[in-house]
Amino acid sequence: MTWFEFVGSGVALMGVVLSLLAAWGVIDFPSPLSRMHAATKSASLGVASIAVGAGLAAGSPALIGVGSMVAVFMFVTAPISGHLLGRAAYLAGDVSKLIRDDYAGVSMTEPHRSDASNVFSPTRFAALVVVWVVLWRDPGFGNWVGGVLVASLVETAVRSRRLRVRPAGVIPFLVAYFGLILRSNLRVAWEVLTPSNEAIREAVVAVPLESSSRSATLLVANAVSFTPGTLSVDLVGHTLYVHVLQFESHEAVTAEVRKVELLASRLLPAIDHAP
Amino acid sequence: MNAVVTISQIALGLGALVALVRAIKGPSLADRIIAVDLILLLTAGGFAMEAARGGTQLLWPLVTVVALVAFTGTVFVARFIEWRDTR
Repeated sequence: MTWFEFVGSGVALMGVVLSLLAAWGVIDFPSPLSRMHAATKSASLGVASIAVGAGLAAGSPALIGVGSMVAVFMFVTAPISGHLLGRAAYLAGDVSKLIRDDYAGVSMTEPHRSDASNVFSPTRFAALVVVWVVLWRDPGFGNWVGGVLVASLVETAVRSRRLRVRPAGVIPFLVAYFGLILRSNLRVAWEVLTPSNEAIREAVVAVPLESSSRSATLLVANAVSFTPGTLSVDLVGHTLYVHVLQFESHEAVTAEVRKVELLASRLLPAIDHAP
Repeated sequence: MNAVVTISQIALGLGALVALVRAIKGPSLADRIIAVDLILLLTAGGFAMEAARGGTQLLWPLVTVVALVAFTGTVFVARFIEWRDTR
């Protein structure tokens, strides 16, 4: 067994353990929202480590790269699907066990539409076309046409606004974010392994966000799904509805969210380029 | 390495079975999609382990595709629940 195989199997086995914890949490936890804590947090880190471990065990730099790409994909998609599913789980599930529910009443209002207007960016358009052609590895005429078509589709579909990111904030954000992921997994593991379900004190708490920019608000709403013990249910204006596994006090939940906000504010400038 | 891969795959399979119980029991659609999402992720993990065995590397695209299906499927069902329950 080579050194790479040794480390790789270690990382992969850790991932397998986390995946099993996720499965056990999904069967054992009392409500859809609490089951999501296990599914989004443990399963994403679990499968990410399996992919990285498998890449390491194979030993070639290319495969380590592929494994890491899968891991990055997991960390990008898990908070998004978690955030979307949070509201769905609240709507579809049994919410009678919540010991505090700030979201009652708010939940049945019309789903809010995005008010984003389409800011066309020529650079982004060109980049999309180039990426498309590079992916096909063939700069033929047809691929350029296809690239323009796909780029136009994406431009009309995302209707995004210009996003400015502080380069200096990227690395600290990623490091801190990874720390949050690890801590939240330890938390879920603890909840899964302690046998009694009576100890789970679920609540949905409204936390007013301090961030003024829309992109920072959205980033916080998604990242909160990876902070220990919390899961975002919905974002209404500047109020974030957070589901917590162990409710202690409103202040404790707010403090956790503030930590994420502080991180986000270092990554994104305070003023958005919103119309 | 082979032993590690086999043990992991058995464990992931057991995890998927446990999640399948939740998918069948429900009780709500949200529970089911959470469970199915998990099953797909465990499947992707199983494929990644198989690739680690070193026989073929053609499984990596499959890992990506299964993870992608899990994500899009979850998002679509979440949207569906929202549409169904807020009308």
